[in-house]
Amino acid sequence: MSTRHILLGLLARGPSHGYDLKRRHDERFPQARPLAYGQVYTTLQRLVRDGLAEVDATEADSGPERTVYRSTDEGARELAEWAGGIAPPAPFVTNEIFAKLVVSILADGDPAAYLRAQRAAHMERMRELTAVKTAPGADLSTVLSADYALNHLDADLRWMNTTAARLTNLTAEVDPA
Amino acid sequence: MSTLANDLRLAFLLTQGSDRREWWRVTLTALGAALATGLGLAAAVLASLQGRYQVPVADGLLNNPGQRSGVILTLLLLLVPVLGFLGQCARVGAVHRDRRLAGLRLAGASVGQVRRIAALETGIACLIGSLVVTVFFVLSLLREWRSPSALAWAGIALVSLGVPALGALVSVLALRRVVASPLGWVRRVGPRTGRGPQWVLLGAMALLVLVALVAVASTYMDMPDNTFKAAPLTLFAVLLVVGAGAVLLSGAVAKLTGKVLAGRAGNPAVLIAAERLRQDPWAAARTHAAVLMGTVVGSGFIGVRATLLADIAKYDYLTDRADFYTAGLNLTATAIVVGFAITFAALAVGTAESLATRRRGLAAQVAAGVPYEVLGRALILETALPLVPSLLLAGAGGTGIAFAYAMAMAGTSVLPFGALLVPVVAFGACLLAAATSLPLLRRTVRPGELRYA
Amino acid sequence: MSENHPGPVPLLAARGLVKAHGRTRALRGASLELREGEILAVTGASGSGKSTLLHCLAGIARPDEGSVTYAGERLDQLPEKRLSALRRTDFGVVFQFGQLIPELTAVDNVALPLLLAGTGRGEARARAGEWLERFGVRGQEEQRPGELSGGQAQRVSLARALVTGPRVVFADEPTGALDSLASEQVMAALVHTARESGTSVLLITHDAQTAAYADREVTLEDGVVVSEAEAPLGVSR
Repeated sequence: MSTRHILLGLLARGPSHGYDLKRRHDERFPQARPLAYGQVYTTLQRLVRDGLAEVDATEADSGPERTVYRSTDEGARELAEWAGGIAPPAPFVTNEIFAKLVVSILADGDPAAYLRAQRAAHMERMRELTAVKTAPGADLSTVLSADYALNHLDADLRWMNTTAARLTNLTAEVDPA
Repeated sequence: MSTLANDLRLAFLLTQGSDRREWWRVTLTALGAALATGLGLAAAVLASLQGRYQVPVADGLLNNPGQRSGVILTLLLLLVPVLGFLGQCARVGAVHRDRRLAGLRLAGASVGQVRRIAALETGIACLIGSLVVTVFFVLSLLREWRSPSALAWAGIALVSLGVPALGALVSVLALRRVVASPLGWVRRVGPRTGRGPQWVLLGAMALLVLVALVAVASTYMDMPDNTFKAAPLTLFAVLLVVGAGAVLLSGAVAKLTGKVLAGRAGNPAVLIAAERLRQDPWAAARTHAAVLMGTVVGSGFIGVRATLLADIAKYDYLTDRADFYTAGLNLTATAIVVGFAITFAALAVGTAESLATRRRGLAAQVAAGVPYEVLGRALILETALPLVPSLLLAGAGGTGIAFAYAMAMAGTSVLPFGALLVPVVAFGACLLAAATSLPLLRRTVRPGELRYA
Repeated sequence: MSENHPGPVPLLAARGLVKAHGRTRALRGASLELREGEILAVTGASGSGKSTLLHCLAGIARPDEGSVTYAGERLDQLPEKRLSALRRTDFGVVFQFGQLIPELTAVDNVALPLLLAGTGRGEARARAGEWLERFGVRGQEEQRPGELSGGQAQRVSLARALVTGPRVVFADEPTGALDSLASEQVMAALVHTARESGTSVLLITHDAQTAAYADREVTLEDGVVVSEAEAPLGVSR
């Protein structure tokens, strides 16, 4: 996930300061990991350094000083290029569950017990997300992001089910002794 | 020839692995074909005789061409309920067969190939039924008639091979829509109107009437008296018109009854029955056609019988040969009763088949708490509702014929009120025939049916 | 069994159910509890006995052994007439498809349980219409099931199951034949209504996303209910 492009996107609607950007990000992308305040500032500074954003004004009406940023033409071009480009479909398979299984077999652990516990945890999370999306008054962004996560968890679950059925074969392959 | 052998093998394989109900269809089709062949053979052999003969059966009734033509006509008329029975049998397991044939098309079979396979399935069933009957018929014929004429032999061959050929042809005609598209009726939106089999049935009946007329005309060739010749033909035509009217009325009334009742029924059984009628009013008319024809013929016959019996008692020259005349009347009565029996069997088969086809849906209704009694009542009402008005018409028509005949022949001395009983009895018998499938409702509608998606 | 009872006596309880279809034993001692107002998902591989369990719990089939208790009454011992009446008044059923009468219009299908209970035609149709409207099947009241899309037909089925205000709804793969959007609409309609009216739901599904609508999930394995944490996931033992 490219934080700099998301911030550039949020700036596309007009100049904004760091705190406002964080708030709008968390609102627009519910269920995503909330942006850290510090991360927003470092990213903004990098954008300025690369000429994609610039300081619009500095406000200090009451309380702490606030720097307002806006996107440059270069930033708009970069954003359009990123938004139109495809996200590489799974360039590297990072599968923590699979890694844990293999390690568990190598270290003579109980991979089946691990899979059961993982499945239960997945189901629990799916119930939570379903409750979030079916809660009265849930907006479409919430429903869609919950759906995204639900579909991924569902895919994990299905993978775990087929893997559980083939665990004996996997054990023989990983640990031929 | 090798393609035929190949198709034959495919047809055999498919039938072997098929549903139990398809075996029911094959068995019932063979039975229907056997009945049709039997009637056809008798008619053919009788039609091959010309002029006076000494026929050693039925009290000399078959000796004269005049009476013989009446018997031929009766035999051919009996083919009408047999055709109805065959039509019902063709529907047993029809959905499965349609799916299977559509599957064959999907698997790459050509239109012609699927047609041949379908024709072979039905044709072979009919051939078995027809051959069994032909063998028995010929054996018993040779005991009475040492050397049948060439014409009789030709007639026998024509009937015994014609029945299976016709059966195959009809099955191809009935399946023409399934065969046209590989997807067939795999997906059905709404109930079909079933117009196809209806036309096939009507065509077959028209053919039958034509054959009957030719047969009757040929046996009358030696008869000099022209007025006598016209009488049975006129009677036949009137019967046909009244019967056809009753069938048409049956469909129209089913539609109207369905519409009126569906709008206001507060009773669930009536509502279900009414909506089924509204959806497919001609299904009822088709099923009841033979009942209605039978009712017209039956009540008409009672009038003729009462008049004739009165005449026999009145005139000495008739009383001398009372045996001969009563034998004729009894034979006709038997024919009518047999016709009714076949018709009611067809009705029972039709109701059972309609239940079997819907058994999963019905099981779901029972699971949802709809009582068996409500479903059973709906089933009976489906038969009863459209039948009442058309049976009234058929009964009135038949009784009218009976009274007209009685008055024309014997004045007002004999009034055949017995004719009025026929529609009542027919109605009761129809309800009984439909009710025979009620035990089936409890047996087939089980939660086990819910298990298959 | 790992049930811990937060509530009082369960509304519906099965103990040691055994049921055979011919030679295959679909249930081999399944036990289960459904609490008042609870949505319980029963998952498991195909052939694990899920549907048979539902049939026994809903009084559609009788178990060969074991007991089914509903509100203090032994369902497995009730005569068929009482069971049928109970299914009309206290239970609602939703199957994958097939529970709508093809000849009846959508609104008449929903009104049918009310008609069976003796409600007049006009009132029954009016109440059925309200349910259809609530489930977003508007303008299709007079269409027949064959003319509805899968999702619409399933929402009509749901309305039919709920129209009498049942205490328990039994749903057997209610979304089995639907795409994900239609599934979501059907499940949302079911869950909202159940929560609002405190109806218990026994939801049979092989789909994790559908099961996630439930409060709790149990898994069926070879005709035995294994609680979620112990689900062996088809591991060859």
